[in-house]
Amino acid sequence: MPSRLQLFLCLVWLAIGLSGGHFAAAANLPGEPDAAAAAFFETKVRPLLVAKCHDCHSGDTSEGGLRLDSLPALLTGGASGAAAVAGEVDGSLLISAIRRTKVAAMPPDDPLSSEEVAVLEEWVARGLPWSGPGSGRGDDPLAAPPSMDSRIASAQASHWSFQPPRRHELPATPDSIDAPTAERWHAPIDRLMLRDMAAVGARPSPPAEPAVLVRRLWFDLTGLPPPAGEVDAFCEAPSQAAYATLVDRLLASPEHAEHWARRWLDLARYADTMGYAFDGQESNYPFAWTYRDWVVHAFEADMPYDRFVTLQLAADLVAPPAAPADLAALGFLTVGRTFLGNTHDIIDDRIDLVTRGLMGLTVACARCHDHKYEPVSTADYYALHGIFASCSIPEELPVIGEATPGPEADSFAAKMQELQQRIEEHTQAVYERATREAIAHAADYFLETSRPRARGADGRTPVLEDGYELQQLLIDRFTRTVTGAAAEHPVLGLWTQVRSVGDDTFAEATRAILATWEQEPDSINQAIREEMLSARPETPQALAEAYGRVVMRASASDNTAEDTPALAAVRTLLTVPGAPLVVLPEEAMRVARREERTELRKRERDITSHQGNAPGGPPRAMVLQEASVQNSRILQRGNPGRPGDVVPRRMPTVLGGLTAAENASGRLQLAEVITSPSNPLTPRLIVDWAWRHHFGQGLVATPGDLGLRGEPPVHADLLDDLAQRFIDEGGWSLRWLHREIVMSSCWQQSSALRDDLADRDPDNLLFARANRQRLSWEAWRDSLATAAGSLDLSHDGGPGIDPLAIENLHVRSLYARLDRQDVPGMLRIFDIANPDTAVHVRSQTTVPQQSLAVLNAPLMVEAARRLAARATRDAGDGGDEQFVVHLWRAALSRSPSDDEVAAGLGFLTTEAEGDVDEFDRHARLAQAVLATAEFQYID
Amino acid sequence: MHCQPTATSCDHDMLSRRSMLTRSGMGLGWLAAAHLLAGDSNAAASSGSSSLAPRSPHFAGKARAVIHIFANGGPSHLDTFDRKVALETYAGREIPGALPTERRTGAALPSPFTFSRHGESGLEVSELFSSVARHADRLCVVRSMHADVPNHEPSLMLMNCGDARLVRPAAGAWVTYGLGTENQNLPGFVVMCPGGYPIKGTENWRNAFLPGAFQGTYIDTNKRNVDELVQHVRHPILGEGMQKRQFDLTAQLDRRHLEARQHDPQLEARLASMELAWRMQSEAGDAFDVTREPKHVLDRYGDGVQGRQMLIARRLVERGVRYVQVWHGAGQPWDSHEHIEKNHRRLAGECDQAIGALLDDLVGLGLLESTLVLWGGEFGRTPTVELPNDAGVSVASGRDHNHHGFTVWMAGGGVKGGYVHGATDEFGFKAVEKRMHVHDLQATMLHLLGLNHERLTYRHSGRDFRLTDIHGNVISDLLA
Repeated sequence: MPSRLQLFLCLVWLAIGLSGGHFAAAANLPGEPDAAAAAFFETKVRPLLVAKCHDCHSGDTSEGGLRLDSLPALLTGGASGAAAVAGEVDGSLLISAIRRTKVAAMPPDDPLSSEEVAVLEEWVARGLPWSGPGSGRGDDPLAAPPSMDSRIASAQASHWSFQPPRRHELPATPDSIDAPTAERWHAPIDRLMLRDMAAVGARPSPPAEPAVLVRRLWFDLTGLPPPAGEVDAFCEAPSQAAYATLVDRLLASPEHAEHWARRWLDLARYADTMGYAFDGQESNYPFAWTYRDWVVHAFEADMPYDRFVTLQLAADLVAPPAAPADLAALGFLTVGRTFLGNTHDIIDDRIDLVTRGLMGLTVACARCHDHKYEPVSTADYYALHGIFASCSIPEELPVIGEATPGPEADSFAAKMQELQQRIEEHTQAVYERATREAIAHAADYFLETSRPRARGADGRTPVLEDGYELQQLLIDRFTRTVTGAAAEHPVLGLWTQVRSVGDDTFAEATRAILATWEQEPDSINQAIREEMLSARPETPQALAEAYGRVVMRASASDNTAEDTPALAAVRTLLTVPGAPLVVLPEEAMRVARREERTELRKRERDITSHQGNAPGGPPRAMVLQEASVQNSRILQRGNPGRPGDVVPRRMPTVLGGLTAAENASGRLQLAEVITSPSNPLTPRLIVDWAWRHHFGQGLVATPGDLGLRGEPPVHADLLDDLAQRFIDEGGWSLRWLHREIVMSSCWQQSSALRDDLADRDPDNLLFARANRQRLSWEAWRDSLATAAGSLDLSHDGGPGIDPLAIENLHVRSLYARLDRQDVPGMLRIFDIANPDTAVHVRSQTTVPQQSLAVLNAPLMVEAARRLAARATRDAGDGGDEQFVVHLWRAALSRSPSDDEVAAGLGFLTTEAEGDVDEFDRHARLAQAVLATAEFQYID
Repeated sequence: MHCQPTATSCDHDMLSRRSMLTRSGMGLGWLAAAHLLAGDSNAAASSGSSSLAPRSPHFAGKARAVIHIFANGGPSHLDTFDRKVALETYAGREIPGALPTERRTGAALPSPFTFSRHGESGLEVSELFSSVARHADRLCVVRSMHADVPNHEPSLMLMNCGDARLVRPAAGAWVTYGLGTENQNLPGFVVMCPGGYPIKGTENWRNAFLPGAFQGTYIDTNKRNVDELVQHVRHPILGEGMQKRQFDLTAQLDRRHLEARQHDPQLEARLASMELAWRMQSEAGDAFDVTREPKHVLDRYGDGVQGRQMLIARRLVERGVRYVQVWHGAGQPWDSHEHIEKNHRRLAGECDQAIGALLDDLVGLGLLESTLVLWGGEFGRTPTVELPNDAGVSVASGRDHNHHGFTVWMAGGGVKGGYVHGATDEFGFKAVEKRMHVHDLQATMLHLLGLNHERLTYRHSGRDFRLTDIHGNVISDLLA
């Protein structure tokens, strides 16, 4: 086991090792400048470079490939070659540029003063002295990085987490360990840990007291406090056998699945809403809960972790096909934030989830540039981008179960029908309205085929004086009909002949044709003939209006005594379904007015909301499905406006770079690569995740980061051995892993602080004692509900509940509905996971707002009231003394000491005077106990 | 755990030292490397084992607190602090070089408001902000602000969180992360917005990946009752005396528990936090209760929610709250696409007197030197009139969003008074002189607080994040 010093040295070594690579890359680097040259550089040159050049030539920003924030980069130069040559003032591009003697005069807009030019000339002349950051020497953090290929190769060859985990022979017990301890510390975890402790002369802590151990085990495995009777029973005859039995029982309980599901949901950045939505848009995920419940069921069934992950990435693609219920697993990918529909951000969220979330590899940084630290290139990123870009969420989510039959299902179906009816009615009203108006504006549509009105700058169809907006859809159709008609057409012939005639000859041309109509009445539609001969139109406008009148009459006379065969013919031509002026049902929304569209959306939302929120409907899975396969382009600096090369879909190079199959998104292959027994990251990540939650501290110091920037594990052999046995012996069973950990003597140690460790190992890197842990928000609230006697363990999931509402106190906190846009302050204060990103471990703060909630939250007050009522019942005729005993047992899983009984009784006696009914002295005592540190912390 | 037993800093707000080191981008290796390089270390993180305890800045800054008055919706710079005579010349005509914004705009729209010069600096301010103008010589007016896009959502995110789209912590969260807060009995980052949330809601004051303690505490200042303003500030039933006896019993039980556990600092912290909460009950009640102010003070701030919330802002800063954000109202009140004369007059009428009174008081109490007041919106408005459209504008009488150029002003906290920085073009469309991006504003604000924006980092997802991401320059012209 490396000491803190060794660890520290190891990191320094890493840092030096890295920059050593750069050093080698830059040949002929000038040496360390003397003090005067360094001062010149730091006071004159560097400020100038920073002020005038770095905006465009530093870090990520390297216009023309040139960086001026590091000497090696400057010597390597950009597209035009080395920026400067030491000592050669006139031969240095940099100098030509600032002298503006070349085409590329720099800086472009803001020439350097002659003094500034002189400084840089002197600098080149003095041989480019460069001190400190950017010098490329030693451990310079600003040196230019080596190529991505070499970084990947080097990481694959030497970074600890990319090496396959391997089994470690169990070491002999160190001599310094006494026999009873050695006997207890026999599990593989124990023996490796003991070796690491002994290596620095430390010894483990004694086992925790039985009562402490039982309470710790209950909270750890189920998130709930043990009933006092269970603790008593165990303490009467504590044994490893009894302990093992208890472990197995708790691991098999649904409460265990629920508790650990919540931890997984942190990693899955679970929430029930998509985040911010534009005004009036639906942000609810009505079926996120089906994913949450799936996780609970998977844990309850001890689904092997490789299968568990595979289904969450590709339940729709596995062979043989998964059960329909397993489609809910895909919620893992889809319950994230939707960033107002920005596809790139949605995909970015998913990439981060599957890489950092499942493997501890931070790929998302490569969205804008090759990863600065990890062996991940932008090409790797956009190769994954293509995989997710080839997937989509279907309009209608698949139903994955039956609605439970009964009155609720019946009323759900009836309401559903009613809501669909309302949409149909609305659609009908819209297309009828649009048709009516189109017919009334037939003249205007005629005119569009002759003298089209000017379009607005935005290309929109014109709005007429009466507010009617001509519909492009109808214009197109009408134009096709009219321009397709021959000159002899009985209805449209006249229009066909004159519509292209100029204004000056229009009257004449029309008159001429109408003159012939007097003679040959039969070939002309009679309704048209009568109208034209009576109106005698002499302008395009008047002619169109005459046509419009006939169309109106034809439309209005349908099924009346006025109807004639001629009017029927006009109708058939223009105003029956399928004719140009009639809007079909499926076209309704294309011609709908803004308010009509809004109304439709509202009615559609009513359906979504009904499907999602009304009881009685069938559950649905938040799936992702295969869409048309496409490869993504690299977006330079992540900017969609700067597309670069197309990259084929494939896995990250550092994980083998397997290319995706041609006709599939690659999602299933991604799942296979992540869960492959040869993937070195996945098992380490999940083992560390489980360890972290059991111990309150991980084996890897940087949660969710196994990369080059993460810290290497202090107990590397232990992590490796456990990760490999998790696969070999455990068959990816998380239950096996939990058991392995809680059965270890390491986990069962006392949490008592030790003077001998306080200075040497304040952060408990050695795991030479247990860590005292605070209850999570969920466990705290569930404990309140348990103490209150309210918790209903038979609650079976389903849509989320408001965890702060008193009427929901019987429901476990896991089942809370979480609006990621509006996480209640109380939950934030108690450090729940940020639902916008994969969280491997919650941050933990202690702030007075938490204590304010303990003192005053309505939830607390109600729990105290119920706890008092419960203890009163339990005490029977035993009076206040028995009340105190039962209160302690219900709240703290143990009987009170004599002192505590005295304190409790003393309180009740003092408070008898001036008692208040709404929250009497018994309830006040109950709250005082619920408010203790003991209630909230696990030893 | 390190726990300095000084008056305020043995705060027991624990992030473990280890986690703080890892997260603040300063793993052990980094510390070592930094030491080897320059003997330097990050004061903001290395001193602190706590989340909200006051921490030393990177260097001595003049500002200790920030009051950000957020005129959300986008106030028009052209009608307030950036007078453009050319708009009168071009009234009703198209201007050359009009730029695309969210919606279509037409001809030049001169400001309907009268401008006059104020103070020795002769700063031009419109009649809308005559009370603020009393402090002309204290204002540092930046007329060359620019942002990235003409839409509210991304611009709000940029202004508050430094990134238009991705989930990043708000500036207030960064500042409390960097400096902690001086009064442990009050939240360190308070956000007031009457009547509900602005657009984008709580995202504007989120902690994102920073610990939850740094999230802004939202207060709906439409509520007057202190119990409604501050969550859990009073027991729903018990009076103070009765609750005190209950509290004492808990403390007694806790002490017994603690003695049996070697005075574990973690439990000590919890105990101390209970005591702090007890004091907070009265202190928070006091801070938010403006009825405790004498009538003449209330009169100076004006009768209305803006007066009330500016007064609360003052009371919070007096009590050591680090970062206070005061929003004009729910939604986007300053978004005057139409009838700008009427709307801007009403909006300014609601807040001008209150802001003036706030500045008066900060000066009078000697707090302005150490309090940075920032006023502005997420962007400005176009010099051209917004044309009628189907987004609800029926009369061409307002201005569209304008991210190309807009104005913010600062006062106190180490900024230069009576100073105008940069300029927009002839018409006020685009910032052209000494252009200052939102990231530059943020870098400069952090600088005023003694924080180096490039060193205020947090390790997350394998890299060190900062408010200004990879951007931002401290604009030294603004510094007094």
